[in-house]
Amino acid sequence: MSYTIPIGPYHLALEEPYKIEVHCEGETVTGADLKVGFNFRGIEWLAERKNLTQSIALMERVCGICSNVHSMTFCLALERIGRIEVPARAQYIRVVMAELERIHSHLLWAGVAAELTGFHTLFMTCFNLREDVMDLLEAISGNRVNYSMNRIGGVNRDILCPDDIRAGIRTIRGELERSLIPIFTQDRILAARCAGVGVLAREDALAWGAVGPLARASGVDQDLRRDAPYLVYGELDFQVPVRAEGDVFARVVVRALELLESCRLVEQALDRMPAGPLHGPDHYFVTPGETTMRIEAPRGEVFYFVATDGTDRPRRVKVRTPTFANIPTVLPMVRHAALADVPLIQASIDPCYSCTDR
Amino acid sequence: MTAQAVRERVGGAWVERSDGWWCSVRSGEILAIARAVRVDGVRFAALTLFPEGDRMRFAWHWDCEGVLLTAEALADPGQAVPSIAGTWPGADWAEREARDYYAVSFEGRDSTPPLMLREEETPGVLLRPGGKEQA
Repeated sequence: MSYTIPIGPYHLALEEPYKIEVHCEGETVTGADLKVGFNFRGIEWLAERKNLTQSIALMERVCGICSNVHSMTFCLALERIGRIEVPARAQYIRVVMAELERIHSHLLWAGVAAELTGFHTLFMTCFNLREDVMDLLEAISGNRVNYSMNRIGGVNRDILCPDDIRAGIRTIRGELERSLIPIFTQDRILAARCAGVGVLAREDALAWGAVGPLARASGVDQDLRRDAPYLVYGELDFQVPVRAEGDVFARVVVRALELLESCRLVEQALDRMPAGPLHGPDHYFVTPGETTMRIEAPRGEVFYFVATDGTDRPRRVKVRTPTFANIPTVLPMVRHAALADVPLIQASIDPCYSCTDR
Repeated sequence: MTAQAVRERVGGAWVERSDGWWCSVRSGEILAIARAVRVDGVRFAALTLFPEGDRMRFAWHWDCEGVLLTAEALADPGQAVPSIAGTWPGADWAEREARDYYAVSFEGRDSTPPLMLREEETPGVLLRPGGKEQA
């Protein structure tokens, strides 16, 4: 029997507004249609009407979880256009913020994934650890989500308590190694629920433009922090976990291992952070120009195109978020899948509909 | 395939910028270029539109081993540009969003349904005036 199940845009099973119409033959999915845009805010239109400083704050609102990535990417683009040098200490602080944000984002996703697989105690463990990471972010910036750390030419705040942050991240790393990583990488029940589900082949990952952990779990060995280093990532030692299976379990394992790598990066950045200024002069003139800027956000590549004309307003700010690239891959993944696996497959891409809609 | 090999496979005059390699093409050539870069290791990254006077500048971006490869073309007002979504399914949403934002059209698609807008809304959101006086 053929039928279509409309889910969303507002539904108990969804965290955010999004609609998927699942076409089925019996219990097997034959296809799906996706609809987004329910949170469309016109941020690119707004950016052309704000000055550069206002636009930094605006870009921080693109995403509620990886807010720092967006203001940082925008500032990096302006710094590249204006050939503005960023002090070394500020670059290390940006790395610390970016990696803490990645840990926060991955733990949030891990908790949601644990809940979806029926592992409620694991959900509680993940969210408990996430609180610890948010405490560290708050200790540095004063805020739990929108940190307001970035400015053109550097950062707004110093890390005044590096020893506390170092101790905190070591505690988090210890807890990850002791409890979470073994479960996410070795637990037989979790593996049985996730292995072989929602497979995205490497060729499909490339053709559909998948990015981040989703792509790396399909054998696409790419990470901008290593392949096109920005800030001081080229001076730091870290591994890029890659799995070839392309299924939900591979995505779980890749993100779990990335948590440890991010902890290592935070520790290295804190150890190597030199003394020095946080930023250059208070006022900058950004020359006319244009550039693309790409950053490895928690969910994958963030892509910006920024153009300036010498005034205090950007001429164009294009934002392509990782989830915008990743959501369409749900279509090849759910085809021929069991209907009961659709929620897990959707969640496995770590979607963020708010930043998709911008 | 390396980024250099991909550039040689596409041909044309590539220019190195601080953000990767750019190549100016005619808009009608983009489908052939999209097919030429459809090789192992290349990923479709994004489609950028940028008004240049009364013309529209299109920039198609691909990633190859961390190197950004961009083909750009200018289109006259009302001129349809070939769709590459048949070759690169990841470009489908990018083209639909471009239609929403700048009311441009793509040829070679069965349809270009709205992505961010609803069916009854007029495309061209980023062309709408207003707002500057409040900034």
